[in-house]
Amino acid sequence: MQSATLETWLGRATCRLSANSAAQVRSEIQEHYESARDEALNGGASPTEADRIALSSLGDASTAGRQYRKVLLTAAEERILRETMWEARAVCSRLRWLFPVAALTLCSAAWFFIAGQNYLALALVLMAAGMSLLLAGSRLPINSPARAQVFRGARWGWLAAVVLLAVWPDPLKQSWLLVAVAWPIVWVEWTLFSVRRKLAVDQWPRPLYF
Amino acid sequence: MNLKGTLPTLILEALEREPTHGYRIAQRIKERSRAILDFKEGTLYPALHKLERDGLVESYEGTENGRQRRYYRISQAGRRALVKDRAEWQKFSRAVTLILKTA
Repeated sequence: MQSATLETWLGRATCRLSANSAAQVRSEIQEHYESARDEALNGGASPTEADRIALSSLGDASTAGRQYRKVLLTAAEERILRETMWEARAVCSRLRWLFPVAALTLCSAAWFFIAGQNYLALALVLMAAGMSLLLAGSRLPINSPARAQVFRGARWGWLAAVVLLAVWPDPLKQSWLLVAVAWPIVWVEWTLFSVRRKLAVDQWPRPLYF
Repeated sequence: MNLKGTLPTLILEALEREPTHGYRIAQRIKERSRAILDFKEGTLYPALHKLERDGLVESYEGTENGRQRRYYRISQAGRRALVKDRAEWQKFSRAVTLILKTA
């Protein structure tokens, strides 16, 4: 009966946590519960009373769950992290062919600029910059949070420039479309930001730097 | 009494002398405050995880009475943080005492 109550407590506290995080919480809370229960039994409490004391010392499960979700990975975060790592393995490791394409795009941009087609030249420069950023991710020694921040700043700058160019000269008119398209990107970036805060830097998988 | 954000400092203080497990940390805090500082122990572990992520405590597996337990010990960075927190708290406490005395 009391185990079922602890089980309820654990169910609430581990709500929305990833399987690994939930297992960790279960293990440490069960350890704690058993110690509290043993101490209550040694103090002369009946087994039922000891269970009640041990459980009440843990406090509110929802409050603990909220605290846990601030420091441990949630199921959604673990899924995004897994997908990001899959993308890095499946796509980003095969991008060598982008180097000649980026160089060619830059040459074409120069040619269009000389020909007076500045808008097209700018679009091509941005395209080359995007490809260079993709290449840089796997080539440059981005191995510290500070360098990773600079890289992500450059990437966001690039994305903002692309979006501005796409909606220019009337950005407000198409803002609804921008919001709809940008929402999934912002959601993934926000989740990865949260993952970076939760994991110690030495536990960061390589894709988390980008 | 509510701990109001001081739990990480109290955990570091509890670990300063020797490494121990979560349950003992909670007991030490309660005993040393003569049961004035009471907190819900379910929130102790999230605070421990945060301290561990920040490199202020380290954890390892150990046994007590034949039972497998996770022990925590304070790191060098944790000791430095504790010295800083202690100084800040004493300064803050003196300031509040001054105000409340004159009120």
